[in-house]
Amino acid sequence: MANLVAVDNKNHLKIKIDPNKRELHGKGLHLIPVVLSEFSNLAIQYPIVLTKDAETGQFVFAAMLGFEAGENLFWQEEQWQGLYLPLQIRRQPFFVGNPDSSTQQRANEGDYIVCIDSDSSAITSKDGVALFDEKGLDTEYFQDVKSCLAALLKGETDNKICIEHLQDMDLLQSMSLEVTFVNQQSTRLNGLYTVDQEKMAKLTDEQILILHKAGVLPAIYTLSTSLGQIHALIDLKNKRLV
Amino acid sequence: MNDANENRRENNKLTKTVVIVGGGIAGWLTAGRLAAKHKSNTADGLKVILVESPNIPAVGVGEGTWPTMRSTLIALGISETDFIRECDASFKQGAKFAKWVDGSEKDFYYHPLVLPQGFGKGDLAAHWLAKQANQDAQSFSAEVCFQEAVCEHGLAPKTIRTAEFADVANYAYHLDSGKFAVFLQKHCTENLGITHVLDDVVAVNSVNNGDIASVTTKSNGDIAGELFVDCSGFSSLLLGKHYQVPFKSCSDILFIDTALAVQVPYENEHSSIASHTISTGQEAGWIWDIGLQHRRGVGYVYSSQHSSEEQARKVLAEYVGDSFDSLTVRKIPIVSGHREKLWQNNCVAIGLSAGFLEPLEASALVMVELAAQMVSEQLPQSRDVMDIVAKRFNEIALYRWEKIIDFLKLHYILSKRNDNKFWSDNRDPKSIPQSLQDLMQLWQYRSPMDIDFTSNNEVFPAASYQYVLYGMGFESDYSHSPYALDDTDFAERQFAQNKKMIDKAVSTLPTNRELLNKVNEFGFNRI
Repeated sequence: MANLVAVDNKNHLKIKIDPNKRELHGKGLHLIPVVLSEFSNLAIQYPIVLTKDAETGQFVFAAMLGFEAGENLFWQEEQWQGLYLPLQIRRQPFFVGNPDSSTQQRANEGDYIVCIDSDSSAITSKDGVALFDEKGLDTEYFQDVKSCLAALLKGETDNKICIEHLQDMDLLQSMSLEVTFVNQQSTRLNGLYTVDQEKMAKLTDEQILILHKAGVLPAIYTLSTSLGQIHALIDLKNKRLV
Repeated sequence: MNDANENRRENNKLTKTVVIVGGGIAGWLTAGRLAAKHKSNTADGLKVILVESPNIPAVGVGEGTWPTMRSTLIALGISETDFIRECDASFKQGAKFAKWVDGSEKDFYYHPLVLPQGFGKGDLAAHWLAKQANQDAQSFSAEVCFQEAVCEHGLAPKTIRTAEFADVANYAYHLDSGKFAVFLQKHCTENLGITHVLDDVVAVNSVNNGDIASVTTKSNGDIAGELFVDCSGFSSLLLGKHYQVPFKSCSDILFIDTALAVQVPYENEHSSIASHTISTGQEAGWIWDIGLQHRRGVGYVYSSQHSSEEQARKVLAEYVGDSFDSLTVRKIPIVSGHREKLWQNNCVAIGLSAGFLEPLEASALVMVELAAQMVSEQLPQSRDVMDIVAKRFNEIALYRWEKIIDFLKLHYILSKRNDNKFWSDNRDPKSIPQSLQDLMQLWQYRSPMDIDFTSNNEVFPAASYQYVLYGMGFESDYSHSPYALDDTDFAERQFAQNKKMIDKAVSTLPTNRELLNKVNEFGFNRI
C-alpha cells in the first residue's frame, strides 16, 4: 500500500527522483492502464486492448506488455526498453490526491493536490532530478509530472466516453487468440477485448457522426491498428526463449 | 351460412392474434416468448393481447428457477443486470438436502447444477461406490462435483468480470416472484409490443367446432383471437371451468398438501446469502430456505394427514428462531396434480391452470418456461394444423409431469427416517409409480445413465438421479460387472481434476453477497 503525502516546496525542497527507478513500477506488469490521448504514442510499439477491471468488472484500456501475469517484455536489463513510456509509469511515484481529505491546501473548487508515495524507492537525496529549484519553484521535471497527472485525470473522462460509445453501439468483441511460441509452448489469451471491425464497417452515417463529434474516432482506429503489434510482442517473447 | 361453410372457414383461419388470460409470471413469460419470437412490435407481427383481472392477486409461488431461466431471459431480450436489480434476485447453484436420510445433524447431500466430473465419458459413479466401500471417499457430490465446495463456502457462480448470463459454474436464480411479475409486465408492454388489457373476463364465447372465438370482458367488450392461453392460475378459467378438462391428482404419490410461508429478514446487510436452496427434512415434510438479496423466503411444506397445523407452526418456528414471533405466516394450500390434457381445441393452459406439484426441485417456473417455449416455437400458423400441434404438446407435457412426479418421489423413498408415518407411508410401494419402481430395479446393478432417459423432452438428466440416489446412500451392486471398474486411470484423473477445480474456484470466486453488491453497483457487461 502506497503511503501518500501531499507535496510542497518546504518538506520536499531537497528530495530528488531517480528516473530509472520510477520505471521499476512497471517491472512486473503485463497490462498497464492507458488513456486515449497517448494512444498514438503507444501504438508505435504496444498493442492496445480492453480488459475488465478485477474489482468492478468494467472495461478499461490497457497496453499489452506481456502474455501472462508478471511478464513485461519491455523490461530488460533493469530498464524499460520501450520507446514510449506510458503515463502511468512516467508519473511515478506521484499521485493525484483527493482534495477533500486535505481541505486546508485546497485553493479552489476542482483543484487537485499532487501527492508522493513516500515509500517509493525512486526517492533519493543524491543522484536524480529535483522537484523544486532553490527559489522553491517547480523544475521542468516536476512540471512534466504535473502534466502527466493532468493528462491521466482528463483521460479518465475521455476513456469513459469512448467506452460508453463502444458499448452502446455494440462494437466490442472478445479476442480469442492462441499464440504458439518458438519453443512450441502455446498460450491462450483470455479476458482481452477489442473493437469489432466488421461491426465498425456497418455503422450508419448517424453513428459515425456521433463518434466523430465525441472525438473518439482516431482513438478507435489507432486501437485497431495497434493490434498488429502483437506480432512484435511475440517476437520479443521468442527472442527471450531462444 | 350453413355449418359446412362455417367449419371450412374456421379450419383455414390463420393465427393472427393470441389472447392470454391471466397476468402472473406464467402469463407474462408466455406473452413475452410469443411476442419476441413472432415480432409483435412490428406491423406484420403476431398480435398478443394479455387480459388481466385487476382484482385477483397473483399467487406468487416459485421463488426458485432452473438454469433455463437464463435462456428465457435472453430470448425476451432482458438484461441480467436489470433483472437482478429489480427482482431482488440472487444466484442459485442447486440444492442442499439436509436431514433427509436419517435426520441427524451431519446428514446432508447436494444436488448441484454442474454435471459430475467426466459425466458421459465413463461411469464415475461405479468408481465412487468402490472408493466408498473402501472407506476412502467423501460424499458423492463432494467427490465428483466442485460446485458443492463453492456452495459450502458461500461463493457466487461467477465474478463481476464474467459476461452477463455466462458462468464459471452453472447457475439458476432465486427471485421475488411479485417483483418478477411486475418487471416482466413492464418489459413486455414497453419493448415487445404486447397489448395489456386490465379487465375481468366474464364470459367465454364458442363457435360450432367448440373453439373459443372470444372472451367477453366487463368493460372492454369481446376480445377475439385464434389461440387462447389459459394463465388464470388455480381457477383454470378456460381449460378447467370452460372445457371441464378433469384434474388428475397425484396426492396418492406426493403427500404434501399445505405450505406455511414466512419472509425472514437478514440479521444485517453483511449476512451471507446462500447460493443454493436449502431444503431440510422435517417430521411431516420439509422446509425450504431461499436467500434473496434483501430477505430470505422460508416455508414448511407438510402433509396435513401427518401433522396438525399447530404442530407445523411449531416446527417452522423452531427452524426460523427468535424472529419467528414477529413474522406474518401465510398458509397456502397445495393440490398436487395436473389437468388430464393441457391443450384442448384452440386453448392451451400454462402455469397453475395446467397443474402444480410441491415446490421440491423448483419445477413450477421451469414447466412454464418449457410450455411457453414450445407454444412459441410451434405456434400453429393456421387452424388446420393446430390439432396436430396440440396432440404433440399434450404428449410432451404429460410426459414431463410424469417424469417430475417420479423424480420428486425419489427423494422420499430413499429416506430412512421413521420419526413420523409420513416417511414410512412414502416408502410404501403402493405409493410409488411403476415407472419409478422399474428404474430402481435397474439401478440395483448400475448407476443411472443417459440411456434411461432417451426422450428429447427430458426434464431431469441421469446426473440428477445419480446425485439423489448416491447422496441418499443408495448402493448399486457392481459385483456382477467388475469390469466396470477397470479404467482406474479415468477415475483417478476425474477425482484429481475435481480437487483441482475446487481449489481454483475457492481461490477465485467472490462470495454470493459480494458479487450481488457489485452487480448493483457496476452491473455485468454484455460480453
